[in-house]
Amino acid sequence: MTLAELQERFQAGILSEEAIAPRFVADSKKTNAETLFAVYHNAYRLRLAEFLSNDYPVLRNYLEDEDFGSLVEAYILAAPSRVRNARWYGARLPEFMGTYARLENDAQAIDLARFERALADVFDAADESRLSIDALANIDVERWPKISFKFHPSYELLDLAIGTATLYEAVRDGQELPLIDEGEERVLFWRSSDHQSCYRLVSPDERLALIEASAGKSFAEICSLLQFQGSGENVAARAGEFLTQWFAAGIISCLALDD
Amino acid sequence: MSKPLSLGFGLGLRPVYYRELLESRPNVDWLEIITENYLVPGGRPVAMLERMRADYPIVMHGVSMSLASTDPLDIDYLKALKKLADRIEPRWISDHLCWTGVHGVNMHDLLPVPYTFEALQHVVDRINRVQDFLGRRIAIENASTYVTFHESEMDEWTFVREMAERADCWLLVDVNNIYVSAFNHGFDERQFVEAIPAERVAQLHLAGHSDAGTHKIDTHDQPICADVWKLYERVCRQFGEVSTMIERDDNFPPFHELVAELDRARSIYAAVVHSREETAA
Repeated sequence: MTLAELQERFQAGILSEEAIAPRFVADSKKTNAETLFAVYHNAYRLRLAEFLSNDYPVLRNYLEDEDFGSLVEAYILAAPSRVRNARWYGARLPEFMGTYARLENDAQAIDLARFERALADVFDAADESRLSIDALANIDVERWPKISFKFHPSYELLDLAIGTATLYEAVRDGQELPLIDEGEERVLFWRSSDHQSCYRLVSPDERLALIEASAGKSFAEICSLLQFQGSGENVAARAGEFLTQWFAAGIISCLALDD
Repeated sequence: MSKPLSLGFGLGLRPVYYRELLESRPNVDWLEIITENYLVPGGRPVAMLERMRADYPIVMHGVSMSLASTDPLDIDYLKALKKLADRIEPRWISDHLCWTGVHGVNMHDLLPVPYTFEALQHVVDRINRVQDFLGRRIAIENASTYVTFHESEMDEWTFVREMAERADCWLLVDVNNIYVSAFNHGFDERQFVEAIPAERVAQLHLAGHSDAGTHKIDTHDQPICADVWKLYERVCRQFGEVSTMIERDDNFPPFHELVAELDRARSIYAAVVHSREETAA
Protein backbone atom coordinates (compact mmCIF):
# COMPACT_ATOMS: atom_id res chain seq x y z
CA MET A 1 0.00 0.00 0.00
CA THR A 2 1.33 3.43 -0.88
CA LEU A 3 1.51 6.30 1.59
CA ALA A 4 -1.20 8.12 -0.38
CA GLU A 5 -3.55 5.12 -0.20
CA LEU A 6 -2.94 4.68 3.50
CA GLN A 7 -3.66 8.33 4.21
CA GLU A 8 -6.78 8.35 2.06
CA ARG A 9 -8.22 5.32 3.87
CA PHE A 10 -7.19 6.52 7.32
CA GLN A 11 -8.84 9.89 6.75
CA ALA A 12 -11.97 8.30 5.28
CA GLY A 13 -12.20 6.15 8.40
CA ILE A 14 -12.14 9.21 10.63
CA LEU A 15 -14.68 11.08 8.52
CA SER A 16 -16.99 8.07 8.45
CA GLU A 17 -19.77 8.16 11.05
CA GLU A 18 -18.78 4.77 12.43
CA ALA A 19 -15.32 4.32 13.93
CA ILE A 20 -14.06 1.27 12.04
CA ALA A 21 -10.30 0.89 12.08
CA PRO A 22 -8.72 0.34 8.67
CA ARG A 23 -7.22 -3.14 8.33
CA PHE A 24 -3.69 -1.77 8.23
CA VAL A 25 -3.99 -0.46 11.81
CA ALA A 26 -2.42 -2.91 14.27
CA ASP A 27 -3.63 -3.98 17.71
CA SER A 28 -1.41 -2.98 20.62
CA LYS A 29 -0.38 -5.35 23.39
CA LYS A 30 -2.99 -3.76 25.66
CA THR A 31 -5.96 -3.22 23.39
CA ASN A 32 -7.36 -3.63 19.91
CA ALA A 33 -7.03 -1.47 16.82
CA GLU A 34 -10.68 -0.32 17.04
CA THR A 35 -10.14 1.26 20.46
CA LEU A 36 -6.95 2.98 19.36
CA PHE A 37 -8.34 4.22 16.06
CA ALA A 38 -11.33 5.62 17.96
CA VAL A 39 -8.96 8.08 19.65
CA TYR A 40 -8.55 9.83 16.28
CA HIS A 41 -12.19 9.36 15.31
CA ASN A 42 -13.44 10.93 18.54
CA ALA A 43 -10.79 13.64 18.71
CA TYR A 44 -11.78 14.90 15.26
CA ARG A 45 -15.38 15.49 16.31
CA LEU A 46 -14.52 16.84 19.74
CA ARG A 47 -12.00 19.26 18.32
CA LEU A 48 -14.30 20.69 15.64
CA ALA A 49 -17.15 20.91 18.16
CA GLU A 50 -14.83 22.83 20.47
CA PHE A 51 -13.98 25.29 17.69
CA LEU A 52 -17.70 25.93 17.15
CA SER A 53 -18.43 26.24 20.87
CA ASN A 54 -15.63 28.77 21.19
CA ASP A 55 -16.95 30.85 18.30
CA TYR A 56 -20.63 30.63 19.22
CA PRO A 57 -20.90 30.52 23.04
CA VAL A 58 -24.10 32.57 23.18
CA LEU A 59 -25.78 30.56 20.43
CA ARG A 60 -24.85 27.43 22.34
CA ASN A 61 -26.55 28.75 25.49
CA TYR A 62 -29.56 29.90 23.49
CA LEU A 63 -30.10 26.55 21.78
CA GLU A 64 -29.01 24.59 24.87
CA ASP A 65 -26.66 21.64 24.71
CA GLU A 66 -28.88 19.11 22.98
CA ASP A 67 -29.94 21.28 20.03
CA PHE A 68 -26.53 22.91 19.72
CA GLY A 69 -24.95 19.45 19.82
CA SER A 70 -27.20 18.22 17.00
CA LEU A 71 -26.41 21.32 14.94
CA VAL A 72 -22.68 20.88 15.48
CA GLU A 73 -22.86 17.20 14.61
CA ALA A 74 -24.74 17.96 11.38
CA TYR A 75 -22.33 20.75 10.44
CA ILE A 76 -19.27 18.59 11.06
CA LEU A 77 -20.76 15.81 8.94
CA ALA A 78 -21.73 18.19 6.14
CA ALA A 79 -18.65 20.37 6.20
CA PRO A 80 -15.24 18.78 6.77
CA SER A 81 -12.75 21.53 7.47
CA ARG A 82 -10.93 22.93 4.48
CA VAL A 83 -9.43 25.84 6.35
CA ARG A 84 -5.91 25.87 7.68
CA ASN A 85 -6.83 27.76 10.81
CA ALA A 86 -9.47 26.57 13.28
CA ARG A 87 -10.44 30.19 13.59
CA TRP A 88 -12.38 30.04 10.32
CA TYR A 89 -13.92 26.60 10.57
CA GLY A 90 -17.24 27.91 11.83
CA ALA A 91 -17.52 30.78 9.35
CA ARG A 92 -20.27 29.07 7.39
CA LEU A 93 -22.35 27.94 10.37
CA PRO A 94 -24.97 30.73 10.07
CA GLU A 95 -25.37 29.95 6.36
CA PHE A 96 -25.60 26.24 7.16
CA MET A 97 -28.31 26.87 9.76
CA GLY A 98 -30.47 28.28 6.97
CA THR A 99 -30.43 24.87 5.31
CA TYR A 100 -30.65 22.78 8.48
CA ALA A 101 -34.17 21.45 8.84
CA ARG A 102 -34.39 21.85 12.62
CA LEU A 103 -33.44 25.52 12.54
CA GLU A 104 -34.10 26.83 9.04
CA ASN A 105 -37.19 28.75 10.19
CA ASP A 106 -35.61 30.04 13.39
CA ALA A 107 -34.56 33.49 12.22
CA GLN A 108 -33.56 34.51 15.74
CA ALA A 109 -31.12 31.63 16.11
CA ILE A 110 -29.67 32.19 12.66
CA ASP A 111 -29.23 35.89 13.27
CA LEU A 112 -27.78 35.26 16.71
CA ALA A 113 -25.17 33.14 14.93
CA ARG A 114 -24.55 35.94 12.40
CA PHE A 115 -24.19 38.36 15.30
CA GLU A 116 -21.56 36.21 17.01
CA ARG A 117 -19.81 35.57 13.73
CA ALA A 118 -19.49 39.32 13.20
CA LEU A 119 -18.02 39.79 16.68
CA ALA A 120 -15.45 37.08 15.95
CA ASP A 121 -14.55 38.59 12.57
CA VAL A 122 -14.18 42.03 14.10
CA PHE A 123 -11.86 40.66 16.78
CA ASP A 124 -8.96 39.86 14.47
CA ALA A 125 -9.74 41.86 11.34
CA ALA A 126 -6.74 43.59 9.80
CA ASP A 127 -5.14 46.53 11.58
CA GLU A 128 -5.20 49.93 9.99
CA SER A 129 -4.79 53.52 11.11
CA ARG A 130 -7.80 55.42 12.50
CA LEU A 131 -8.45 59.09 11.96
CA SER A 132 -9.83 61.45 14.55
CA ILE A 133 -12.26 64.16 13.59
CA ASP A 134 -9.33 66.57 13.64
CA ALA A 135 -8.44 65.18 10.21
CA LEU A 136 -11.32 67.24 8.80
CA ALA A 137 -9.74 70.43 10.11
CA ASN A 138 -6.94 70.02 7.60
CA ILE A 139 -9.40 70.21 4.70
CA ASP A 140 -10.99 73.46 3.55
CA VAL A 141 -14.67 73.50 4.43
CA GLU A 142 -15.69 74.22 0.84
CA ARG A 143 -14.07 70.93 -0.20
CA TRP A 144 -15.91 68.83 2.39
CA PRO A 145 -18.68 67.83 -0.04
CA LYS A 146 -16.05 66.00 -2.08
CA ILE A 147 -14.62 64.02 0.81
CA SER A 148 -15.00 60.27 0.67
CA PHE A 149 -14.13 57.77 3.38
CA LYS A 150 -12.25 54.54 3.75
CA PHE A 151 -13.49 52.44 6.65
CA HIS A 152 -11.43 50.44 9.12
CA PRO A 153 -11.17 46.75 8.08
CA SER A 154 -13.10 45.71 11.19
CA TYR A 155 -16.18 47.66 10.04
CA GLU A 156 -19.20 45.45 9.42
CA LEU A 157 -22.89 46.34 9.05
CA LEU A 158 -25.60 43.69 9.34
CA ASP A 159 -29.36 43.70 8.91
CA LEU A 160 -30.70 41.31 11.54
CA ALA A 161 -34.06 40.22 12.89
CA ILE A 162 -35.30 42.85 15.28
CA GLY A 163 -34.25 42.16 18.86
CA THR A 164 -31.13 40.16 17.97
CA ALA A 165 -28.78 42.46 19.89
CA THR A 166 -31.06 42.44 22.94
CA LEU A 167 -31.40 38.68 22.70
CA TYR A 168 -27.62 38.33 22.49
CA GLU A 169 -27.18 40.39 25.66
CA ALA A 170 -29.94 38.55 27.51
CA VAL A 171 -28.50 35.12 26.73
CA ARG A 172 -24.93 36.25 27.41
CA ASP A 173 -25.92 37.70 30.80
CA GLY A 174 -28.33 34.93 31.76
CA GLN A 175 -31.33 37.28 31.77
CA GLU A 176 -34.92 36.58 30.78
CA LEU A 177 -35.30 36.36 27.02
CA PRO A 178 -37.00 39.37 25.39
CA LEU A 179 -40.15 39.13 23.31
CA ILE A 180 -39.29 39.45 19.65
CA ASP A 181 -41.20 41.51 17.09
CA GLU A 182 -41.18 41.02 13.38
CA GLY A 183 -38.96 43.32 11.37
CA GLU A 184 -35.30 44.20 11.08
CA GLU A 185 -32.69 46.04 13.04
CA ARG A 186 -29.38 47.30 11.78
CA VAL A 187 -26.23 46.63 13.76
CA LEU A 188 -22.84 48.23 13.22
CA PHE A 189 -19.81 46.18 14.36
CA TRP A 190 -16.26 47.39 14.72
CA ARG A 191 -13.12 46.94 16.82
CA SER A 192 -12.07 49.75 19.12
CA SER A 193 -8.52 51.03 19.32
CA ASP A 194 -8.06 49.00 22.54
CA HIS A 195 -8.96 45.78 20.68
CA GLN A 196 -12.50 45.37 21.99
CA SER A 197 -15.19 44.04 19.64
CA CYS A 198 -17.99 46.62 19.68
CA TYR A 199 -21.49 46.96 18.27
CA ARG A 200 -24.42 49.35 18.34
CA LEU A 201 -27.80 49.69 16.70
CA VAL A 202 -28.04 52.27 13.94
CA SER A 203 -31.06 54.14 12.62
CA PRO A 204 -32.33 53.54 9.06
CA ASP A 205 -30.81 56.80 7.80
CA GLU A 206 -27.44 56.10 9.42
CA ARG A 207 -27.54 52.66 7.83
CA LEU A 208 -27.98 54.27 4.42
CA ALA A 209 -25.19 56.73 5.13
CA LEU A 210 -22.88 53.90 6.21
CA ILE A 211 -23.65 51.85 3.11
CA GLU A 212 -22.98 54.82 0.85
CA ALA A 213 -19.89 55.96 2.71
CA SER A 214 -18.36 52.51 2.84
CA ALA A 215 -18.97 52.20 -0.91
CA GLY A 216 -16.77 55.26 -1.45
CA LYS A 217 -19.51 57.83 -2.05
CA SER A 218 -18.67 61.45 -1.28
CA PHE A 219 -20.14 63.44 1.59
CA ALA A 220 -22.26 65.38 -0.93
CA GLU A 221 -23.62 62.15 -2.43
CA ILE A 222 -24.43 60.81 1.02
CA CYS A 223 -26.30 64.03 1.83
CA SER A 224 -28.20 63.84 -1.47
CA LEU A 225 -29.34 60.32 -0.71
CA LEU A 226 -30.41 61.26 2.80
CA GLN A 227 -32.33 64.19 1.33
CA PHE A 228 -34.00 61.87 -1.18
CA GLN A 229 -34.88 59.44 1.62
CA GLY A 230 -36.50 62.26 3.59
CA SER A 231 -34.13 62.53 6.53
CA GLY A 232 -35.38 65.94 7.58
CA GLU A 233 -34.50 69.39 6.41
CA ASN A 234 -30.94 69.74 7.57
CA VAL A 235 -29.38 66.60 6.13
CA ALA A 236 -25.87 68.05 6.23
CA ALA A 237 -26.16 68.45 10.00
CA ARG A 238 -27.58 64.93 10.31
CA ALA A 239 -24.74 63.51 8.19
CA GLY A 240 -22.34 65.54 10.30
CA GLU A 241 -23.67 63.82 13.42
CA PHE A 242 -23.00 60.45 11.84
CA LEU A 243 -19.49 61.46 10.88
CA THR A 244 -18.74 62.65 14.39
CA GLN A 245 -19.79 59.26 15.77
CA TRP A 246 -17.81 57.35 13.16
CA PHE A 247 -14.64 59.26 13.91
CA ALA A 248 -15.20 58.84 17.65
CA ALA A 249 -15.61 55.07 17.22
CA GLY A 250 -12.44 54.92 15.14
CA ILE A 251 -13.96 53.36 12.05
CA ILE A 252 -12.64 55.93 9.57
CA SER A 253 -9.18 54.97 8.37
CA CYS A 254 -8.64 57.37 5.53
CA LEU A 255 -10.13 60.39 3.79
CA ALA A 256 -9.94 61.05 0.06
CA LEU A 257 -10.84 64.10 -1.96
CA ASP A 258 -12.60 63.46 -5.24
CA ASP A 259 -11.18 66.47 -7.14
CA MET B 1 26.41 22.54 12.06
CA SER B 2 25.78 24.20 15.40
CA LYS B 3 22.35 23.98 16.92
CA PRO B 4 20.66 27.04 18.47
CA LEU B 5 21.99 28.11 21.84
CA SER B 6 19.71 27.27 24.75
CA LEU B 7 17.15 29.91 25.62
CA GLY B 8 16.61 28.37 29.04
CA PHE B 9 13.15 27.47 30.36
CA GLY B 10 10.02 28.76 28.65
CA LEU B 11 6.27 28.45 28.40
CA GLY B 12 3.71 28.26 25.63
CA LEU B 13 2.17 31.69 25.12
CA ARG B 14 -1.57 31.34 25.75
CA PRO B 15 -4.07 34.23 26.00
CA VAL B 16 -5.13 33.18 29.49
CA TYR B 17 -1.63 34.08 30.73
CA TYR B 18 -1.08 37.33 28.80
CA ARG B 19 -1.58 39.52 31.85
CA GLU B 20 0.77 37.61 34.17
CA LEU B 21 3.49 37.45 31.56
CA LEU B 22 3.36 41.18 30.96
CA GLU B 23 2.77 42.42 34.49
CA SER B 24 4.46 40.05 36.92
CA ARG B 25 7.68 39.47 34.96
CA PRO B 26 7.84 35.82 36.08
CA ASN B 27 10.84 33.58 35.93
CA VAL B 28 10.15 32.54 32.34
CA ASP B 29 13.03 32.82 29.89
CA TRP B 30 11.23 32.56 26.57
CA LEU B 31 7.89 31.91 24.92
CA GLU B 32 6.68 29.52 22.25
CA ILE B 33 3.67 30.54 20.18
CA ILE B 34 1.28 28.33 18.27
CA THR B 35 1.99 29.90 14.89
CA GLU B 36 -1.54 29.52 13.52
CA ASN B 37 -3.02 31.54 16.39
CA TYR B 38 -1.15 34.56 15.07
CA LEU B 39 -1.71 33.98 11.36
CA VAL B 40 -4.71 36.27 11.53
CA PRO B 41 -5.04 39.66 9.86
CA GLY B 42 -4.72 41.77 13.04
CA GLY B 43 -6.32 42.71 16.32
CA ARG B 44 -5.43 41.71 19.86
CA PRO B 45 -3.50 38.49 19.11
CA VAL B 46 -1.03 40.23 16.84
CA ALA B 47 -0.78 43.28 19.12
CA MET B 48 -0.10 41.08 22.16
CA LEU B 49 2.56 39.14 20.30
CA GLU B 50 4.31 42.40 19.43
CA ARG B 51 4.30 43.35 23.11
CA MET B 52 5.54 39.92 24.23
CA ARG B 53 8.42 39.88 21.80
CA ALA B 54 9.73 43.06 23.32
CA ASP B 55 10.21 41.18 26.62
CA TYR B 56 10.79 37.55 25.66
CA PRO B 57 12.59 35.59 22.92
CA ILE B 58 9.94 33.94 20.74
CA VAL B 59 9.87 30.54 19.04
CA MET B 60 7.22 29.70 16.43
CA HIS B 61 5.62 26.26 16.72
CA GLY B 62 3.18 25.29 13.97
CA VAL B 63 0.60 22.57 13.48
CA SER B 64 -0.24 22.97 9.79
CA MET B 65 2.87 22.17 7.77
CA SER B 66 1.56 18.64 7.25
CA LEU B 67 5.01 17.42 6.30
CA ALA B 68 3.99 13.78 5.83
CA SER B 69 0.85 14.48 3.81
CA THR B 70 0.69 13.35 0.21
CA ASP B 71 -1.20 16.54 -0.66
CA PRO B 72 0.96 19.26 -2.19
CA LEU B 73 2.73 21.54 0.29
CA ASP B 74 0.53 24.49 1.15
CA ILE B 75 2.56 27.31 -0.33
CA ASP B 76 0.11 29.97 0.84
CA TYR B 77 0.63 28.73 4.39
CA LEU B 78 4.39 28.81 3.99
CA LYS B 79 4.23 32.35 2.62
CA ALA B 80 2.11 33.47 5.58
CA LEU B 81 4.49 31.67 7.95
CA LYS B 82 7.51 33.38 6.39
CA LYS B 83 5.83 36.76 6.55
CA LEU B 84 5.07 36.32 10.25
CA ALA B 85 8.61 35.06 10.89
CA ASP B 86 10.08 38.09 9.09
CA ARG B 87 8.04 40.29 11.41
CA ILE B 88 8.47 38.40 14.69
CA GLU B 89 12.05 37.18 14.15
CA PRO B 90 11.64 33.89 16.06
CA ARG B 91 14.73 32.08 17.28
CA TRP B 92 13.56 29.09 15.26
CA ILE B 93 10.48 27.57 13.65
CA SER B 94 9.14 24.10 14.37
CA ASP B 95 6.36 21.74 13.33
CA HIS B 96 5.52 18.05 13.68
CA LEU B 97 6.31 14.72 12.12
CA CYS B 98 2.74 14.10 11.02
CA TRP B 99 0.13 14.82 8.40
CA THR B 100 -3.04 16.82 8.95
CA GLY B 101 -5.19 15.70 6.01
CA VAL B 102 -5.37 14.86 2.33
CA HIS B 103 -7.60 15.96 -0.56
CA GLY B 104 -7.66 19.49 0.80
CA VAL B 105 -9.33 18.49 4.06
CA ASN B 106 -7.82 19.64 7.34
CA MET B 107 -8.44 17.16 10.14
CA HIS B 108 -6.94 19.59 12.68
CA ASP B 109 -4.98 16.75 14.21
CA LEU B 110 -1.44 15.42 14.15
CA LEU B 111 -2.07 12.19 12.27
CA PRO B 112 0.34 9.25 12.51
CA VAL B 113 2.93 8.37 9.90
CA PRO B 114 3.71 4.81 8.84
CA TYR B 115 7.43 4.32 9.37
CA THR B 116 8.18 3.16 5.84
CA PHE B 117 11.05 4.01 3.52
CA GLU B 118 8.58 5.66 1.17
CA ALA B 119 7.27 7.91 3.95
CA LEU B 120 10.80 8.70 5.09
CA GLN B 121 11.86 9.87 1.63
CA HIS B 122 8.63 11.81 1.24
CA VAL B 123 9.04 13.63 4.56
CA VAL B 124 12.71 14.34 3.96
CA ASP B 125 11.96 15.82 0.51
CA ARG B 126 9.29 18.07 1.97
CA ILE B 127 11.41 19.24 4.91
CA ASN B 128 14.12 20.12 2.41
CA ARG B 129 11.65 22.11 0.31
CA VAL B 130 10.30 23.93 3.35
CA GLN B 131 13.80 24.73 4.61
CA ASP B 132 14.74 26.04 1.15
CA PHE B 133 11.60 28.15 1.03
CA LEU B 134 12.08 29.60 4.51
CA GLY B 135 15.83 29.93 4.10
CA ARG B 136 16.48 28.32 7.49
CA ARG B 137 16.62 24.96 9.22
CA ILE B 138 13.43 23.99 11.00
CA ALA B 139 12.90 21.75 14.04
CA ILE B 140 10.65 18.71 13.77
CA GLU B 141 8.78 17.28 16.73
CA ASN B 142 7.96 13.65 17.42
CA ALA B 143 4.17 13.44 17.84
CA SER B 144 2.21 11.31 20.29
CA THR B 145 0.60 8.44 18.41
CA TYR B 146 -2.15 6.01 19.29
CA VAL B 147 -1.90 3.48 16.46
CA THR B 148 0.83 1.61 14.65
CA PHE B 149 0.67 0.30 11.09
CA HIS B 150 1.39 -3.18 9.79
CA GLU B 151 3.14 -1.37 6.92
CA SER B 152 5.88 0.15 9.11
CA GLU B 153 9.38 -0.99 8.20
CA MET B 154 11.36 0.60 11.04
CA ASP B 155 11.01 1.92 14.58
CA GLU B 156 9.88 5.47 15.21
CA TRP B 157 13.28 6.46 16.58
CA THR B 158 15.06 5.09 13.53
CA PHE B 159 12.69 7.06 11.32
CA VAL B 160 13.23 10.24 13.34
CA ARG B 161 17.00 9.89 13.36
CA GLU B 162 17.18 9.14 9.62
CA MET B 163 14.81 12.01 8.87
CA ALA B 164 16.92 14.47 10.84
CA GLU B 165 20.18 13.32 9.26
CA ARG B 166 18.91 13.20 5.68
CA ALA B 167 16.94 16.47 5.83
CA ASP B 168 19.64 18.14 7.92
CA CYS B 169 16.99 19.58 10.24
CA TRP B 170 16.79 20.19 13.98
CA LEU B 171 14.70 18.07 16.32
CA LEU B 172 12.18 19.20 18.87
CA VAL B 173 12.04 16.28 21.28
CA ASP B 174 8.75 16.09 23.12
CA VAL B 175 9.46 14.12 26.28
CA ASN B 176 5.80 13.53 27.04
CA ASN B 177 5.17 12.31 23.50
CA ILE B 178 7.96 9.75 23.81
CA TYR B 179 6.41 8.57 27.07
CA VAL B 180 2.86 8.42 25.66
CA SER B 181 3.89 6.62 22.47
CA ALA B 182 6.13 4.21 24.41
CA PHE B 183 3.23 3.30 26.67
CA ASN B 184 0.76 2.99 23.78
CA HIS B 185 3.03 0.90 21.59
CA GLY B 186 4.97 -0.99 24.23
CA PHE B 187 8.49 0.18 23.47
CA ASP B 188 11.22 1.20 25.89
CA GLU B 189 11.48 4.99 25.89
CA ARG B 190 15.20 4.74 26.62
CA GLN B 191 15.71 3.20 23.19
CA PHE B 192 14.10 6.27 21.64
CA VAL B 193 16.18 8.74 23.62
CA GLU B 194 19.44 6.92 22.99
CA ALA B 195 18.82 6.82 19.23
CA ILE B 196 18.36 10.56 18.88
CA PRO B 197 21.43 12.53 17.73
CA ALA B 198 22.01 15.03 20.55
CA GLU B 199 23.67 17.53 18.23
CA ARG B 200 20.35 18.01 16.42
CA VAL B 201 18.11 18.54 19.45
CA ALA B 202 17.21 22.23 19.46
CA GLN B 203 14.33 22.12 21.91
CA LEU B 204 12.44 19.99 24.42
CA HIS B 205 8.72 19.92 25.18
CA LEU B 206 7.20 18.89 28.49
CA ALA B 207 3.48 18.38 29.01
CA GLY B 208 0.83 16.38 30.79
CA HIS B 209 -1.44 13.72 29.34
CA SER B 210 -4.61 11.77 30.12
CA ASP B 211 -4.74 8.12 31.02
CA ALA B 212 -7.40 5.98 29.30
CA GLY B 213 -6.22 2.75 30.93
CA THR B 214 -5.13 0.80 27.89
CA HIS B 215 -3.60 3.88 26.31
CA LYS B 216 -2.57 7.42 27.13
CA ILE B 217 -3.65 10.55 25.26
CA ASP B 218 -1.56 13.67 24.77
CA THR B 219 -4.06 16.24 26.04
CA HIS B 220 -1.82 18.96 27.54
CA ASP B 221 -4.44 19.46 30.24
CA GLN B 222 -2.73 17.88 33.24
CA PRO B 223 0.39 18.50 35.29
CA ILE B 224 3.50 16.69 34.11
CA CYS B 225 3.45 13.23 35.70
CA ALA B 226 6.23 11.62 37.75
CA ASP B 227 7.22 9.20 34.96
CA VAL B 228 7.66 12.05 32.48
CA TRP B 229 9.79 13.98 34.98
CA LYS B 230 11.92 10.85 35.35
CA LEU B 231 12.26 10.57 31.59
CA TYR B 232 13.11 14.27 31.42
CA GLU B 233 16.03 13.66 33.78
CA ARG B 234 17.31 10.97 31.42
CA VAL B 235 16.83 13.30 28.46
CA CYS B 236 18.86 16.00 30.25
CA ARG B 237 21.69 13.54 30.77
CA GLN B 238 21.54 12.51 27.13
CA PHE B 239 21.16 15.90 25.41
CA GLY B 240 22.69 18.37 27.86
CA GLU B 241 21.63 22.01 27.80
CA VAL B 242 18.63 22.44 25.52
CA SER B 243 15.83 25.03 25.45
CA THR B 244 12.95 23.49 27.39
CA MET B 245 9.33 24.56 27.66
CA ILE B 246 6.00 23.40 29.06
CA GLU B 247 2.91 23.13 26.87
CA ARG B 248 -0.43 23.64 28.56
CA ASP B 249 -3.50 23.94 26.36
CA ASP B 250 -6.51 23.22 28.54
CA ASN B 251 -7.65 23.00 32.16
CA PHE B 252 -5.35 25.95 32.78
CA PRO B 253 -3.94 26.10 36.31
CA PRO B 254 -3.11 29.35 38.13
CA PHE B 255 -0.05 30.81 36.47
CA HIS B 256 2.17 30.31 39.51
CA GLU B 257 1.57 26.55 39.33
CA LEU B 258 2.88 26.46 35.77
CA VAL B 259 5.89 28.54 36.77
CA ALA B 260 6.47 26.10 39.65
CA GLU B 261 6.51 23.22 37.13
CA LEU B 262 9.04 25.16 35.10
CA ASP B 263 11.16 25.63 38.22
CA ARG B 264 11.04 21.89 38.75
CA ALA B 265 12.42 21.39 35.24
CA ARG B 266 15.19 23.86 36.09
CA SER B 267 16.02 21.95 39.26
CA ILE B 268 16.16 18.61 37.49
CA TYR B 269 18.47 19.99 34.83
CA ALA B 270 20.64 21.68 37.48
CA ALA B 271 20.91 18.41 39.43
CA VAL B 272 22.00 16.57 36.28
CA VAL B 273 24.68 19.20 35.62
CA HIS B 274 25.79 19.07 39.26
CA SER B 275 26.04 15.30 39.23
CA ARG B 276 28.08 15.44 36.01
CA GLU B 277 30.47 17.95 37.54
CA GLU B 278 30.91 15.79 40.63
CA THR B 279 31.57 12.74 38.48
CA ALA B 280 34.11 14.69 36.40
CA ALA B 281 35.83 15.96 39.56
